[in-house]
Amino acid sequence: MTPPELTVITDGLTKRFGDLVAVDHIDLRVEAGTVTSLLGPNGAGKTTMVRMLATLSAPTSGTAIVCGHDVVREADAVRSAISMTGQFAALEDNLTARENLLLMARLRGYGRGAAGRLVESLIDRFDIGEFRDKLIKAVSGGQRRRVDLAASLVVQPQLLVLDEPTSGLDPRSRQVVWSTVRDLVDEGVTLLLTTQYLEEADALADDIVLIDHGRAVAAGTPSDLKARIGDQRVDVVAVDSRGLDGLVGALSGRFDLTIARERRRVSVPAPDELDDLASVAAAVRASGIPIDEIALRRPTLDDAFLALTGQPPATDTLSDDSLVEVAS
Amino acid sequence: MTTITSPAAGAVPRVAEALPPRPGPFARYLRETALLVGRGLRAIPRVPERLSDVTIQPVMFTLLFLYVFGSAIHVHGTYQDYLLPGLLGQSVAFGAIGAGVATSTDFSSGVVDRFRSLPVVRMSVISAQVIGQIIEQILGIVIVAAIGLGLGWRPHLGGGRAAELVALMLLGLLAFTWVGVLAGMLIRSSDAVQGIGFAVMLPLSFLAGTFVPIAGMKLVPRAIAEWDPLSALVAAVRQVCQGTPSGGSLQLDHPVAAMIAWCALILAVCVPLALRRFRTASV
Ligand SMILES: Nc1ncnc2c1ncn2[C@@H]1O[C@H](COP(=O)(O)OP(=O)(O)OP(=O)(O)O)[C@@H](O)[C@H]1O
Ligand SMILES: [Mg+2]
Repeated sequence: MTPPELTVITDGLTKRFGDLVAVDHIDLRVEAGTVTSLLGPNGAGKTTMVRMLATLSAPTSGTAIVCGHDVVREADAVRSAISMTGQFAALEDNLTARENLLLMARLRGYGRGAAGRLVESLIDRFDIGEFRDKLIKAVSGGQRRRVDLAASLVVQPQLLVLDEPTSGLDPRSRQVVWSTVRDLVDEGVTLLLTTQYLEEADALADDIVLIDHGRAVAAGTPSDLKARIGDQRVDVVAVDSRGLDGLVGALSGRFDLTIARERRRVSVPAPDELDDLASVAAAVRASGIPIDEIALRRPTLDDAFLALTGQPPATDTLSDDSLVEVAS
Repeated sequence: MTTITSPAAGAVPRVAEALPPRPGPFARYLRETALLVGRGLRAIPRVPERLSDVTIQPVMFTLLFLYVFGSAIHVHGTYQDYLLPGLLGQSVAFGAIGAGVATSTDFSSGVVDRFRSLPVVRMSVISAQVIGQIIEQILGIVIVAAIGLGLGWRPHLGGGRAAELVALMLLGLLAFTWVGVLAGMLIRSSDAVQGIGFAVMLPLSFLAGTFVPIAGMKLVPRAIAEWDPLSALVAAVRQVCQGTPSGGSLQLDHPVAAMIAWCALILAVCVPLALRRFRTASV
């Protein structure tokens, strides 16, 4: 068997901002034709990582080969082979959607005629027709995102880098992005995308790299990782902290509890979903302790971190949700 | 699970267009610069407030000084002939603020990042920024000059003086635009650029003999004014437009030479710094 062709190879890739190590010795491999997702909370280093790969920022140390070219020494060749959609829509506010796309196509090197035809096809493809002649500053966030994505696709890149492509989108627009990603994969484009949503990485990626504090803390296929995270969970929210103590007392013998004190919440893995929900509900009921809420839910990024690294993600950026302790 | 029917992205087949062969770097540089300048110019009529920034303020200064303070200021010749060259010089210097605001807006909005991630010649992005800003400032300056002429300004621009004036103003615009581009890259918020820009430029411009002759100033402001680069700028424009000599310090005895020297110094410092910043920028 021949080894798979690698679109991205990084070795010890590191970026420092003063004392802060934003990306810390990451060794990433992205196989051609696959979707790889960098998954991590705010400040994990996802943007910094993809900016280095897109030649927008120089690594402090380590190497990165993208589409066969070194990002520092052969930056122009890398730029010709990739497209990137940044985390924040990068469009000219005072041009219309169509003018923005035209400018991108012309800057890629197309002549007037070819650029015009390409832009028309992108407008159809991304459902932009309705606001094609509106100034970008006057369109909605989701519409902007669509134009932004279209702008990255005036050429068919070998590697498409999408930095949090669905943050701030409504479910419908999110579906558009997801189905676009799947179509591109069918067309043979390699994708590297970052996200904060476990669900999104699960839905799109062939490989997931979990990033925290600039380090790759876990990696694998979605099914690998899910097997390690555990499937759904049952959450029980107590009415107050005494109730929480009561719940912990009542449940800790029988279930594998995770306690989030700030949220007055205990959480139980539920591999058998409804059956587990029923047995937790029965135990809560038997204890007679009043509760606020009980629910079956999918694992979140926090659960993933806890399960895969044994500790919650970066402390400086997180909500109270992360103040978690483990009990058995 | 509910299924959300997604609009048919991708149902439309891709139009494949072959990329034409890539021209050499210099041809690409010219083409890309032209495209990017076009982008900036197209935006001008859509953001009228940006153009009004470069005109309303000088127009207000013109009216205020001409009709309110002017009668109390004594100069050789008419006050119009004193004031208008001053305002032209000031407009050139204030070009730095406009360029700074535009640059920091571009950098913080990610538009520049997008251009930088394309296989374009790096210099074309920054050249287009500078050229676009200069064109915008020229539009403002033309409006100010036209209003001045309407209100009785009489420049003496015979015998090649007009060409000299244009060359001098362009040099000034080039230098001060680079100051703004550098500041815009270093300071990330455009509000901060605006604030700092006015805090620095306004006093320098008031001291520079723009509105009131330096000769009448008290000791300390006068000492500053004599070496203020804006004084050289204003005095040079005034000398070329009206033939009015100035004096009082080395640079004011030879304002045109002094202004050229200041511009050369500014360019020698700002251009390399801005280019370096642009290459390594990780905003
Ligand atoms: N230009 C910069 N100068 C200094 N520090 C920076 C810079 N860019 C990023 N950082 C820091 O590097 C760390 C990683 O930031 P990065 O933007 O890569 O995170 P992220 O994973 O993309 O987060 P988010 O999900 O919020 O987009 C953060 O602590 C951030 O403050
Ligand atoms: Mg980010």
